[in-house]
Amino acid sequence: MTSLRTFVPLLLLALPLPALAGTVKGTVRVPDTVRSGRMNQGYWRLENGNVPVRPSSRKAGTVVVLQGISGTHPPPPRTVTVEIAGLTATPRFVVVGPGSVVEFKNTGKITHELSVPADETLMPVERLNPGTFRHQKFGVPGGYLVRCSEYPSLAISVIVVDSPYYAVVDDKGAFSIPGVPDGKATLKVWAGGRWAHEESIDTNGKDLSIRIESAKSANQPEAKEAEGTGKEGDSEGKEPDPKGSAE
Amino acid sequence: MFLSKIWFILVALFAGVSLSIALTAPRPMVQKLQELEGQRLDRAEYATEQMLKVDAHKWIDRVARLGRDAVLAEALDSASRGSGELGVQHRTVQVRIQALLPDLAGAGIATIVAVDANGRVVARVGGDDDKNFGENIGGAELIDDALRGFLSDDVWGAGGRLLRVAGAPVLSKSRDRIVGALYVGAETGAQFAERLKKNLDVDIALLLKGKVIASTIPAEVLSGLPDMVEQHRQDIDNLKRTPALPIDVGNETYLAVAAPFPGQASLQKAYYVLIGKKPAHADMGSLLASTSAHDLKWGTFPWIPLLVTILGIIAVGLFLQRFEVDGPMQRIRAELRALVRLDGAKLNDHKYGGGFGGIARDVNAALEHVSIAMSGAHPLGNHAMADAPAAGSAFSEGESHFAQAVRPAAGPPLIPGLGAPPPPAFAPPSDDGGPAPSSPAQPAFGAAPTSSEQDEDAHIREVYEQFVATKKECGEPTAGLTLDKFSQRLHDNRAALMAKHDCRTVRFTVYVKEGKASLRATPIK
Repeated sequence: MTSLRTFVPLLLLALPLPALAGTVKGTVRVPDTVRSGRMNQGYWRLENGNVPVRPSSRKAGTVVVLQGISGTHPPPPRTVTVEIAGLTATPRFVVVGPGSVVEFKNTGKITHELSVPADETLMPVERLNPGTFRHQKFGVPGGYLVRCSEYPSLAISVIVVDSPYYAVVDDKGAFSIPGVPDGKATLKVWAGGRWAHEESIDTNGKDLSIRIESAKSANQPEAKEAEGTGKEGDSEGKEPDPKGSAE
Repeated sequence: MFLSKIWFILVALFAGVSLSIALTAPRPMVQKLQELEGQRLDRAEYATEQMLKVDAHKWIDRVARLGRDAVLAEALDSASRGSGELGVQHRTVQVRIQALLPDLAGAGIATIVAVDANGRVVARVGGDDDKNFGENIGGAELIDDALRGFLSDDVWGAGGRLLRVAGAPVLSKSRDRIVGALYVGAETGAQFAERLKKNLDVDIALLLKGKVIASTIPAEVLSGLPDMVEQHRQDIDNLKRTPALPIDVGNETYLAVAAPFPGQASLQKAYYVLIGKKPAHADMGSLLASTSAHDLKWGTFPWIPLLVTILGIIAVGLFLQRFEVDGPMQRIRAELRALVRLDGAKLNDHKYGGGFGGIARDVNAALEHVSIAMSGAHPLGNHAMADAPAAGSAFSEGESHFAQAVRPAAGPPLIPGLGAPPPPAFAPPSDDGGPAPSSPAQPAFGAAPTSSEQDEDAHIREVYEQFVATKKECGEPTAGLTLDKFSQRLHDNRAALMAKHDCRTVRFTVYVKEGKASLRATPIK
C-alpha cells in the first residue's frame, strides 16, 4: 500500500503535461452581403434619402471553430430550442456538440416547412404548423443550414463542433478563443450559411486577421461540407450577385 | 448514239447534283436559323431582365409614393408606439389603401401589406388573407431592409405563387424616423407570362420549386422542363442563364433559355424560361412535312421554269435519240427491205455512224461472204475455218501486215443464182479516184469467170510461182504445195480479209523473213 502511495505521484509526473494554453484571437472581415443582412437581393436597394439607414439587427452569424487539436473532447450533447416567430428565428445560429438535439418551435402564426436543403436525408422537408415543434438530432460534426422552403429568408445555422474551441464573431468581426493549447490547428469560419474559410494555424497566441472575400448565397451546397472536409470555397474574386445594389 | 449517252450522263449528273443540293442546302440554313433563334431568345432574355428591373423600380416608386400618405404614416406610427387598438389601426390602414388604390387587380397588384416599425403586420389588402394581421414578418429581408431605411425589391415564392415585391419605409409625419413599412406584391403568373409573350414574341414558362406555375403554352407538355433546367443549374449559377436548349414539346421541338428570378425566390428554383420554336429538321421527310399548300401555288413555286426545264431535257433527249437511233434504224430497215426486194446489192454503210455503221458493214461483209461462198467450190460455211491458214504458217503471217482496214469496193454479185441485180445504189470510188464503174451484169451461178476473176487467178498463179521459187531459194521443201491448194487458200484468205477489213481486193507479195518464204497481204481499196 505504501508503494502504491508513492507510485501514483510518480505516475502523474510521468504523464505528458499539456502544452501551454493561450488565446487565439483575431478579426474576420466578411463580405458586405453578409454584413448587410441581405443575402438575397433583388434588382434595387436604395436609401430613402430622409433618415439615415440603420444597421441590420440580423446578426451575421459568423462562427470561428478550431479543429484538429489533439487531446480535446467535443462539447457534450444538449438540447437547444430555436423559437420561430413569424419570419424570425431566435437564435439564428447555434453551436452544439455532436449528438445534440435542436428543437424548432413555431410560436408564430405562419406555417413553415423546414429542412436542410443540402442534406434532405438528414432533415427532410416537414410542415411545422403554428404552435408546434420539431426535434432534430445532429450527430455528425459539421455545418447545417436549416431553411424554410416557403420563406427562405428564415434560415438557422446549426454548427456541430467536435472541439470546445470556438467563438462567435462580434459585430466588429472580432473573436477570441481562450485556453487553446499551443500547436497546430485548423481554423474554419462559418459565415453566410456556409463554411467560408479554412486555414491551418499555429495556436501560439498571435493575432489573426481573416478576410473572406465573398460569400455565396447560403443555399449553396458548401453547407454540406461539414464533416471536417470544409475548405476554402471558390469564393475568391467573384462577387456573388452582380446585380446592382445601391447601398 | 454518242450524243445520247453524253446527254444521259449529263442529265444523271444534273439530277445527282440537284438532289445533293436539295438534301444538303437546308442543313446550314437550318443551323443558321437555329442559331438565329437562339440569339433571338438571348435578346429576349436580356429584354426580360431589363423589363423586370424597370418593373421593380416602378413598383418601388409606387410603394414609396404610397408610403408618403399621411394617414398611413399616422396609423403605423400609432401601431409602432403601441398606442391604440391594433384592430382599429388595421381597419384604418386597410380602408386608406383601398381608397388610394381602388382597383388593385387593374394595377397588377396582388397584395399590399403594411407593417409597423416592429415588423408586425398592421393591414393587408388583396389576397385571401386580408383579414389576418398581427403576425411578425420583420424577419423577411425586404421588410427588414425597409424598416432599416432601404427601398428595395425582391421576388418571393410562397403558396405555389410567385410575387415580385417592392418595399419602402414609411416615415413619420415629421419625416425624421421610420414608423413602419409597406410592400407591394405584383402578380407574376399567367398575366405576367402573357404580357412578356406579347412584348417579346416568345413563349414563356414560369417555374417554381420544380413545377411550371404559369406558361403561354399548355403546362402539361412542359413536364420535362423543370428537370432540364435543373440539369443546367451550373450554367445558371455561373452565367445567370442557360444556353439555348432544345426541348421536345409534343411533336414539336423548341429552344428554351432559362434564367433565374432574383432575390430569395432564387433559393426556391424560381426561373423564367423563354421558349422559341426550333426550325424544322433538315431531312427530306421533315422538309416535305413542313411544306404547305401555299408553297406549291403558282405565284410561289417556280412551276413554269421547272416545267420548261423538264420539257427541254426531254426534248433534247428525244431529239438525240431520233437523230442517233430512230433515224438510222429506220433507214437501215428501209435498205434491208430494199435488199430483200433485190433493189440493191448491199447497204450503203457510208450513211451510218457509230454502231449502226458497224452493223451495216457487218451486214455487207456477211452478204459478200455468202456471195463468195456460194460462188466458190466450197460449201457455204465450211471454208472459213477449214481453210484458215494454220498458225505459224506463211499465210497466217501475212495477215499481220495489214496496215489498216479499208473500205471494200462494190463487190461482185452478192446472191448468185437469183438473177442479175441492178447496179448498187452507191458507187465506191475506183483506185484512180475516178467515178466507180457501174457493175456489169452479174453472171448466173456457175457461169464463166469474169475478167477480174481471171486477173485474180493470174495474180495468184504469179504469186504461187514466186512463192515456190523463193522457198526453193531458201532451201525449203516445196513438195505438196500445188497450185490448186495454194490458190484455194489465197482465195479463202482474200475473202476473209476483204470481209474483215472492208477492202475491194487483196494483193499478195512474196518476201523472205528469217530465211523463210513468206507472203504479205496488202488490202486494195
